[in-house]
Amino acid sequence: MIPVVLVVIMIEPIQQFFASTVMQETLPSALFIAVVSSSISVMVLAHRLSFLTVGVSHASLAGLGLAVTFSLPLLPTATAFCVGIALLLASLPKKQGITEDTGTGLLFAGSMALGIILMSRASRNEVDLFGLLFGNILTVTSSEWHWLLFIGTVIMVVFIGMARAWWSIAFDATTALASGLPVAVLNLCLYGTVGLAVVMCVKLAGIVLTTGLMVLPATCAWFWGRSLMSLWIMSMLIALTATMLGLFISYTYDWPSGATIVLTLCMIFIISWGATWRTQQHRR
Amino acid sequence: MNSPVICLSHISFGPKKRPILDDLSFSLEEGHFMGIIGPNGAGKSTILSVMTGLIQPSQGSIELFGTALTRFNRHQLLKEVGYLHQLHNAEPHMPLTVRDVVAMGLSQYASPLWQRMGKSSQHQTAIEKALKHVDMLDFMPHDFRYLSGGQRQRVRLARALVRQPQLLLLDEPSAALDSQQQQNLYLLLRQLCDEKKMTIIMVEHDIAAITGHVDSVACLNRSIHHHAMKGEQIPEDVWHQMYGEHMHVVAHDTSCIGCHHD
Repeated sequence: MIPVVLVVIMIEPIQQFFASTVMQETLPSALFIAVVSSSISVMVLAHRLSFLTVGVSHASLAGLGLAVTFSLPLLPTATAFCVGIALLLASLPKKQGITEDTGTGLLFAGSMALGIILMSRASRNEVDLFGLLFGNILTVTSSEWHWLLFIGTVIMVVFIGMARAWWSIAFDATTALASGLPVAVLNLCLYGTVGLAVVMCVKLAGIVLTTGLMVLPATCAWFWGRSLMSLWIMSMLIALTATMLGLFISYTYDWPSGATIVLTLCMIFIISWGATWRTQQHRR
Repeated sequence: MNSPVICLSHISFGPKKRPILDDLSFSLEEGHFMGIIGPNGAGKSTILSVMTGLIQPSQGSIELFGTALTRFNRHQLLKEVGYLHQLHNAEPHMPLTVRDVVAMGLSQYASPLWQRMGKSSQHQTAIEKALKHVDMLDFMPHDFRYLSGGQRQRVRLARALVRQPQLLLLDEPSAALDSQQQQNLYLLLRQLCDEKKMTIIMVEHDIAAITGHVDSVACLNRSIHHHAMKGEQIPEDVWHQMYGEHMHVVAHDTSCIGCHHD
């Protein structure tokens, strides 16, 4: 009985949600970002790059600051800057004691500082700082949408082409290298792709919440998946569900969209954790 | 006459004053089973890394199957090489079935996602055969994370075998194996050498366990001190050169309680 009543109660808001023009314009881009970010999140988790996504997303502030200061196109400049930072981190001299997390922390703070200074020089009308920090998918212009579509497609093509090689490097880099894989090149591509995906997520979830989109979908799938394929598909389904649900809740209760999506993902994480807790205990 | 499967000439690695490998040369014909022994820090693992091109020697050259190994042809040459290294601590907890882990050893594994990997019967047969060799076929659909240390090691061995390499490089493969599995492993390796004409180089620390199976033993400490063929005794001064003056060569006889007598 209860589910039926629930559905009847929910029908009207759901219809309203889909009928609203804002959502009709927003939903495709939000779902597209969900597909791309959740695919890459599998690799972010396998290669333990969550801190990299934090670093690169914060670096995008400096990219946007540069764009505003020199009146360059916003998204392309931010994209180039983020990919640049990601590649720089990939090629850091690890042998000299600068580990990846140190380097990320360094560039993270440095580029954030640069961004804040550049932004403070810009006039207030030019930058929507709140939207930048916490995301605002509701303001996607058509040129931005084309740009997102372009980099999203690039990411997915590279992902599908290299996923298995990345997966095998994540599991055992030494054996992958010894079997003849060009590990260094593949790693550069991975970092660059993560950088690209971060730029897309910043538009939806903002600088602060981007890591949520880049980490949580695969984290939830990690409880259920048994192979690369099943992880990928589950990660995408979870991200799509969370995006739909999150946007719906944000529309109904007038909550900020990015934060609601990330919170929905957190809920799915807790449910997955709880549901698999007993089996995990049993297996150990 | 066939060219040797692997030929190392004048390999040196590490700083000039204290080299890890010093002017090391040898070559092996196909079907040869060589054991490498030596003390800790003798460069046993390093020599295997040099052979797979993981590290560049500071001097000398490596030939695999009659072709000099370079940065540009390593992808092609290493397709015929199976390698089992020793550093498994970094293995992350990823959801993988035993089958997936073995499939990673196939040289076609890294192909794009639209090519269905391992679903083809040819790959499937290779995977099953490799798992059967190490007696792990029943575990094929199991999650790799929940296996014991010895079972994981056997799966890693299957991963090295699955591409049916001409040259197999093993770094302490018997680590984490019980003595029964260790014996099975050596018998399997011997069989692969004899029947498939595979060439195997195996680093081990337990010389007593391997002497019955290998064709030759190389005593390594920065350079090869002695290359003993089957049945040949390793002279006492070689032991001292390798391990220092504090080691005693003990003759085993039937009264030795440390040895197995069947």
